[in-house]
Amino acid sequence: MNSSCLPFGRKLLATAITLSLPAVASAAASNDDLQEQIDALQNQITALNVEVQQAGEWKNPNTLMHMAGFADVTFVNPEGGDSSFGVGGFSPIFHYQYRDLVMLEAELEFNVNEDGTTDTELGYMTIDWFLNDYVAVIAGKFLSPVGQFRQNIHPSWINKLVSAPPGFGHDGAAPISDMGIQLRGGFPMAGMRTNYSVYVSNGPELKTESDNGTEFELDGIAADGFGADRDGEKTWGGRFAVLPFSSLEIGVSFATGKATVTELEKNAVAAPPVGPLTGGIPRSYDVIGADFVWFSGNMSLRGEYIESEIGEATTGALGTASEGGIWEAIYTQFAYRLPNTKWEGVIRYGDFDAPRLSKDVTQISVGVNYLLTNNFIVKTSYEFNDGEVSGSKADYDKFLTQLAYGF
Amino acid sequence: MKNRANKTCEQLLKLGGAGLILLVTGFSTSTIAADYPEAGNFSEGSKVWAENCNRCHNMRGPKELRDDQWISTAYHMRIRAGLTGQETRDVITFLQASNTKTVAAGSTKVVAEISKGATGKETYKKTCVACHSANGKGAFPGTPDFTDSSGALSKSDDVLINHITNGFQSPGSPMAMPPKGGNPNLDDNSIIEVLKYMRETFGQ
Repeated sequence: MNSSCLPFGRKLLATAITLSLPAVASAAASNDDLQEQIDALQNQITALNVEVQQAGEWKNPNTLMHMAGFADVTFVNPEGGDSSFGVGGFSPIFHYQYRDLVMLEAELEFNVNEDGTTDTELGYMTIDWFLNDYVAVIAGKFLSPVGQFRQNIHPSWINKLVSAPPGFGHDGAAPISDMGIQLRGGFPMAGMRTNYSVYVSNGPELKTESDNGTEFELDGIAADGFGADRDGEKTWGGRFAVLPFSSLEIGVSFATGKATVTELEKNAVAAPPVGPLTGGIPRSYDVIGADFVWFSGNMSLRGEYIESEIGEATTGALGTASEGGIWEAIYTQFAYRLPNTKWEGVIRYGDFDAPRLSKDVTQISVGVNYLLTNNFIVKTSYEFNDGEVSGSKADYDKFLTQLAYGF
Repeated sequence: MKNRANKTCEQLLKLGGAGLILLVTGFSTSTIAADYPEAGNFSEGSKVWAENCNRCHNMRGPKELRDDQWISTAYHMRIRAGLTGQETRDVITFLQASNTKTVAAGSTKVVAEISKGATGKETYKKTCVACHSANGKGAFPGTPDFTDSSGALSKSDDVLINHITNGFQSPGSPMAMPPKGGNPNLDDNSIIEVLKYMRETFGQ
């Protein structure tokens, strides 16, 4: 190699390196930017993965939450009193379910009183344990399984008339609810469907009333699911129903146990103490009932009979309320939906007999309903009430209308 | 002072109650596809639905609730109506399959199989009979009477095929029939066959 070429070559190499340095530096900077972008994207993907996994948790959960219920607004115009609007009730029902093993059910009942205050009650609260295909264990405060109306028909969007049949409301012949444990379910038998319930519970308590503050008589059986058994006497009962064919159900029910006077009318004497009244003794409590429903096409026919009997108190300081009593209620109802319309006609006959004559009533109720949807209904009805005591509240005829919504 | 404390306590309870309602309704707006209970039988489920709900209350249409809501509702009704576990699974399967306009490919929804070449009678018994009843007069209020000479079957084939395919709500009926009676397995041929069967059996 010619030695004179060497310095020139070095210069050329140096020049080339000098010229390429900015390009190399620029490429390195681009790589850094790219790496930053890749890192940012990776972080985004990681975050998205977490979000997707979290979202997926609710796609397929072991627990379900659900709310149902019903509400209604009512207008009542009694012949012997003032007309008024009222919120009949708002009853949300909460369901919290773990797979197909267990379900918590709770119904709250909100009602607006005449004085504007609001009452809140726990209508029922049960833990339903699905043991197998034929048995569920129901523990807690449950709607009484005696008869059909109280446990299945009373919600305003289901009841085809505005009011409950006489004797099927509070302090009537039919128990409302109870606190205890119940086995419940259905099974096929001889080609028919059947369903059953059997329970043991705290049972009812008895209320007395006095006209003069000293002499007391039985006023009613409070069967509202008491949170304690103040006389320690348990009640047990149940219902069994068969469906000879799918459109007919026939049921029989019973309950038996003991009940004790725990309440005196507060207007007559001082409020009762907590716990059984002094001298109050348990007396026999027996209920029998029968019910049926038959439907065909646009018509349905249902009926129910309940009799609750309280035995005599043979000893004790409350001997003035020692007489027993029978509360007896019956109703039958026919409903017909006009074909291809949303109009429905209803007629119901009811009769309630109680030991206090002022509560006795024979009622014929006629109603017309318009079904905006199957669960949103405008109901109007007129009740012809014939009370045992003329001029008593039970004797007033009434016009009623109601907007009922089941959700 | 005590009254004030009570009032504050009451307000807090009410606030808590409102919060609980919001919590429940808030959660219930999520889309949930539970993997339980195990699948039941679509056709049996349609019978359970048609024969039991109406005993106490007006029928509730499948489209009123989502799949997960039907699970809780059906278990609630298992207690109220005394259904067996199998009947509960069957009715959930029917309602979950019937509450959508179409069932997407790959869906896990279970519906009645309609074999190729099935007669109109077979299709009617598997998909239609629960609501329209064996005698065509309707199993419950709101379903049309096919034996009425001026009723549903007086319409043209084109109209009725469209109603069966896409679903239809009769005037005056508070509830709609889902597309293909809730069974996406009904193809064009089975729809034509079932219509032919209905005309021959119930038409005047």
